[in-house]
Amino acid sequence: MTTKTLYKSYIIEEYQLDEEPYYVPVGDEIELFEAAYRERLPLIFKGPTGCGKTRFVEYMSYKLGVELRKNSKRTDDSDSVNLPLVTIACHEDLTSSDLVGRYLLEGDQTVWIDGPLTRAVKAGGICYLDEVVEARKDTTVLIHPLTDHRRMLPVEKRGELLEAADGFLLVLSYNPGYQSALKDLKHSTRQRFVSIEFDYPPLEIEAQIVQHEAGVDEKTASQLAKLGEKIRNLKEHGLGEGASTRLLIYAGKLIASGIPPRRACQVSVNWAVTDDHSVQQSITEIIASIFE
Amino acid sequence: MSEDSINDKWPELKKFPESVEKNFISSLSAMPDALSESQIRDWYQQGISLASQTVRSWESAAHFFAVSPSVLKSMPYSYFEKWMECGEKLCNESPTLASAYFESSPGTMSQLRSRHIEEWASLGDQLYKGTWKSSTLACRFFVLSPILLSQLSFNQLQTFSQFLDKLAHRSYDLALECLNLGEQIFPLVGEDKDAFLSLATALVETGWREVKSFFDSGAKALPRIDPDERIRFLQLAENLVKNGGTNIPGTMLEISQSLAELDQEKHSVVLALSESLLEFEPLAMPDFINSSPMIFEKLTTSQFGKWYEEGVNVIQNNPDAGIAYFKVESAHSENTIEMLSSGIEFDRIKTVMEMYCRGLAGAEIKLSSTEALVEKNIGWVSKNSPTTEGSTVFVPTIVDRYPTKEENFAWFKVVSTHQVAHLEFGSFIFDFNKKSALFDDLRAILEKKQLDAIENSKKSNEILDESSSTTEFSETSQNLEKAWISDMQRFFNLFEDRQLSLDIFTVVESARLDAKVLVEYPGIKTFYLQVQNDSLDDRPDIKELPAREAIVEFMLRVSLQQYEGVSIPLKYKSEIQQIIQIMKRVTLHESLVEDSAEASIRIYAIIASIPNEDIPEEDWEDPSFDDEEDYEDPDEMEQMLMDMGMGMEMELRPEGEEDYETMQEVEYRGDFKPELSQLMNEMRMQQQDQSGGAQGDPLTQDQLKELLENSAELDMQTVQGEIQESSGVFADNLIKEAGTNLPQSPDDNQGKYVHVDEDGGELQPGEPETFVYDEWDFRAEDYKPRWCIVKQKLMQEGDPAYFSSTLNEYSTLVTRIRRQFEMMVPEMLRKERKLSDGEDIDIDDVIENMVDIKAGSSPDEKFYWRRNKVQRDVAVAFLLDTSASTAEAIDEGKGRQDEWDAPDDPVEYMVWLRTRRGQQMRRSYKRIIDVEKESMVLLINALEAIGDVYGIYGFSGYGRENVEYYTVKDLQENFSDKVKRRIDRIAPLHATRMGPAIRHTAHKLNQIDARTKILFLISDGRPQDRGYSREGVEKEYAVHDTKMALDEAKKIGINSFCLTVDKSGHDYLKTMTSDMGYEILDDINDLPERLLVLYRRLTM
Ligand SMILES: Nc1ncnc2c1ncn2[C@@H]1O[C@H](COP(=O)(O)OP(=O)(O)OP(=O)(O)O)[C@@H](O)[C@H]1O
Ligand SMILES: [Mg+2]
Repeated sequence: MTTKTLYKSYIIEEYQLDEEPYYVPVGDEIELFEAAYRERLPLIFKGPTGCGKTRFVEYMSYKLGVELRKNSKRTDDSDSVNLPLVTIACHEDLTSSDLVGRYLLEGDQTVWIDGPLTRAVKAGGICYLDEVVEARKDTTVLIHPLTDHRRMLPVEKRGELLEAADGFLLVLSYNPGYQSALKDLKHSTRQRFVSIEFDYPPLEIEAQIVQHEAGVDEKTASQLAKLGEKIRNLKEHGLGEGASTRLLIYAGKLIASGIPPRRACQVSVNWAVTDDHSVQQSITEIIASIFE
Repeated sequence: MSEDSINDKWPELKKFPESVEKNFISSLSAMPDALSESQIRDWYQQGISLASQTVRSWESAAHFFAVSPSVLKSMPYSYFEKWMECGEKLCNESPTLASAYFESSPGTMSQLRSRHIEEWASLGDQLYKGTWKSSTLACRFFVLSPILLSQLSFNQLQTFSQFLDKLAHRSYDLALECLNLGEQIFPLVGEDKDAFLSLATALVETGWREVKSFFDSGAKALPRIDPDERIRFLQLAENLVKNGGTNIPGTMLEISQSLAELDQEKHSVVLALSESLLEFEPLAMPDFINSSPMIFEKLTTSQFGKWYEEGVNVIQNNPDAGIAYFKVESAHSENTIEMLSSGIEFDRIKTVMEMYCRGLAGAEIKLSSTEALVEKNIGWVSKNSPTTEGSTVFVPTIVDRYPTKEENFAWFKVVSTHQVAHLEFGSFIFDFNKKSALFDDLRAILEKKQLDAIENSKKSNEILDESSSTTEFSETSQNLEKAWISDMQRFFNLFEDRQLSLDIFTVVESARLDAKVLVEYPGIKTFYLQVQNDSLDDRPDIKELPAREAIVEFMLRVSLQQYEGVSIPLKYKSEIQQIIQIMKRVTLHESLVEDSAEASIRIYAIIASIPNEDIPEEDWEDPSFDDEEDYEDPDEMEQMLMDMGMGMEMELRPEGEEDYETMQEVEYRGDFKPELSQLMNEMRMQQQDQSGGAQGDPLTQDQLKELLENSAELDMQTVQGEIQESSGVFADNLIKEAGTNLPQSPDDNQGKYVHVDEDGGELQPGEPETFVYDEWDFRAEDYKPRWCIVKQKLMQEGDPAYFSSTLNEYSTLVTRIRRQFEMMVPEMLRKERKLSDGEDIDIDDVIENMVDIKAGSSPDEKFYWRRNKVQRDVAVAFLLDTSASTAEAIDEGKGRQDEWDAPDDPVEYMVWLRTRRGQQMRRSYKRIIDVEKESMVLLINALEAIGDVYGIYGFSGYGRENVEYYTVKDLQENFSDKVKRRIDRIAPLHATRMGPAIRHTAHKLNQIDARTKILFLISDGRPQDRGYSREGVEKEYAVHDTKMALDEAKKIGINSFCLTVDKSGHDYLKTMTSDMGYEILDDINDLPERLLVLYRRLTM
């Protein structure tokens, strides 16, 4: 059914992590997350693109999952205890059915298929709604009852109210950067969450991350991190956002596979962050100073 | 001879006034003896016949007799007869003329060949036309003949008189003036009088009114030109005259001025090219010459030739383009220069390099030219040395030291990187009390010892001499007690020889920075090292320096990586070894500016113990050091500190020692003034503190002056005038520069936080179309109720043509933007689902519907979809700052002044005026408001394409009861010719009281029914108004009120965005717009384009 992909362009990922994701803490975000999780307080991550929000939530779901298993050793069915992570990338055509679920035809029968949110609610996992401002406003209202003490998800079509399993937690991400005035979180939505602010990690940590993720040597990694820092200094001067950690990692990967560093930075970082010619030239000069 | 015998012998004499007889008698005895009796008689008869001609001709006769003996001395009698004859003839015409002729004869004859007598007389005669004016001219000609002949050959004199004659046809006055000027000008013309005269004669024919100013300007212009080239200059001018050039004197002045700016050896090059240019387009020649000094700044002579040739190519195809080319008012010309030159101009790389520096330093650094810094007169005097004062990096206007562009650019980059390193690696955040990373800290100990020493000397002074005035030390100590002293200053106060300590610190700190740059920026390493290496070329011969200076020089060489080939004084080898070890430590990775300070103390201690004596030639050697050893503080450190603290070395100094003189700076490192920079930073901070909540007493002008006088960084000699005076000037300028408002005396700052408009109360809106709003007082944390009155008016109407001409001017941009905006439209076509009728069925919804039927739940019958033009539901109000400051010119440099005088002749004047006006219209400078207006035009054009609801308002005002609010286009209004007309009339008015204007706009938006409402504020600076922001004291008030107004808007669902062109906007905009967006435009010219981009982004 090709027509389907026309608008069902969202990706649903539902997986539980088997391996510990690599994550380097930058501040007290781990403690905050843990505390919030203990109290089942929903979270909102604020931060620029590519600064590690997604990675962090993956890491936390793994970490908390492991702890859960450890604590429930006695019951001896540790396999059944887990903390799945459901990531939903939001976009403006996302309907409530897409989140909650719908009936499908199967032969003569109609079959109800849970949407990702429902699945997360049932499974007691972490549901990560990425770029939530992209979603329609009426969609965001859907999550309201999930975030207060009721922890309920109304499934209208089936006329039922689903109570979230114990492990369930809702996490939103939100990039406050250059937002369109049309798209802003409603206050009533925003005020239901604990927000954790993210920013690009400080130089040393970022270097460490780049080194690990891109597989470059220490020197190159710290040069890349330095480049990131310098470019971010240019924010508000024609640069909407600075170079993300993700971009630095891209550059690192190119370098690791043999592209000369200046060239690698040029194609993966410089051209990605700005269209402004003179800003590009300035960044070219910065790249040329940092890399041989 | 008795009276009787005279009466007998020369009876006619008695008929005339006495002077005739008297002159005759006295001359008679002076006549040469060789004259025969009959010759004497002839002479006598001649005189008498002169005297008898008319009633007043006896005067001529008197002159005739008086000068005869001396005239006769310079010629044989035969010519003397000719002379008399000529005199007689002249007298026939006019006795006055004859008198002048006789009178000037002795002088003239001594310079004139006798055979020219007749011709000379006839020259005067020709000028005389029987009128009174012509007589004055002719007489004057005779009178000046001796002087003129001392400059001119007789032939030239003839030409000159012909010229005068011609000119006299037009105006006797003018001819007379030129005659008088001749006296001054001919000596200046030198060898080229023929050319000058022929030019003058040519001018009479083409534009006789200019002749006099030609003489005037000739006198000014010629001395400026290489004497060998003056003739070419004059010929060029003449050529111009012949080719219909106008305002020749003005042009001559101008081009001579331009030539004067060039080295004399370039004159022949420029003139030769000018001559060949005449073949193509003579009228372009002056522009060519006038441009040449500017071009020679950038190009070599051969490159200059190439630039010229390209110009000739252009001019052959299109004379107008050629003229623009030679004026350097065409892009082609500029590009040609840029392409030919190897130099790098600051202006061309400013944007890129400024951004580069900002990136590196992570601060709002500005990049500026050193010229600008020198002009500020705050202590920096060199136009060539790059430097920074903590917030701006200053670099030379042009760099042309290497043969290629790449290298010159690289030099620029090295220089900028080094200067930025001061900021990036913290030279100016030196903290006296902060621990260094690599040394044991001695600063505090040394200071203590110093204070102790002062204390002791005070005590002993008191014992010795009760009345003795305070010593130098106690003054320093008073300084120390003052709260107002920068850390850097406190540090330098530790040293007796401030200059020496500053030099040491400079070298050490530069070495630290260079080391850091080389590690952090390996990409520029190669060229950085090359620049370091090249700096060695300009160093003085170390062997000529006395010991201390030699050691400092040696340190400097080491810091430039020169380890070999520098000699050192043999006997100080171990000291130098130590110094090198200390310096090496500073170049380690962890080092801080405090380490440089600690290192400087140690090095100073070592150098101060060495007398500053000349070292004999044989006592030098090229050292070799083993660099294995690491530095350790010596055991006698304690003692050394003690010595330094007491300032003892003074007394121990040996005889014949020289004063320490400062080292020669390294060009790429430039002019490092840590003390001054820190002072400025602190003054800026003080400024900010003051508006927040003052802490400590502010620095007064006098204190500042004193601080400046103590500093070693101000080279007071370089600046003219007394130290006292110049430090006062610096102080004033510094204060201006830091933007501080220092109180003259500490006690006039009372009432600092009293708001000016505190008195008075609520206001009532009286007239219609007035609105009253509250104002937020952040100190009281409350609103001032009904505080401001907004008067809403319709903007006046002007010329609608402005609208279309702006669109024309920006036609490329207009097309592009229009396209972009039109592209927004399909983006807005959203697929609308769940309709009961539409383009097609939605397969998903159909399934769902069927499923619902099967599942038995109530089915949803709406499963059609349609591409629907979703109503873009945006209402936006643009609020334009039309305060007085928007009248500021954008590019002040362009406002060129024309120097030449207006012509006298009314007709010519009108022509002149018209062309001038025309030029001004075209060239007229642009103001901020103009760009704002243009932006509005483009905006309207774009918005009309997408159909958003929009309004445009301007605001200004004076005082809280008078906030003017002008409607250009109301939100509900349709776009019309009226709107076009109103735009034309947008003009700068008064102050900027933003709060009420925002409130009023919000009020308007609130009445509109739209899903998205945006308030777009376009301003050129911070809010300020009478009683709204007392400059320098309470800017905060306005900023807070504005913020509050924006917050209020937000609460009723209006999003705001501020776009400003105030470069210093970051500080307050952050506060003002908190969560909302803002952007600062680096270049106001980007406003139109940027505004549209932002608008798109905001509403998508
Ligand atoms: N603290 C960190 N520890 C480990 N890796 C990190 C960290 N921060 C960023 N990264 C790396 O940066 C990459 C980008 O981060 P991530 O995808 O989480 O960004 P994001 O914040 O979700 O961005 P977006 O808002 O665009 O979705 C990750 O793949 C990871 O490699
Ligand atoms: Mg992500």
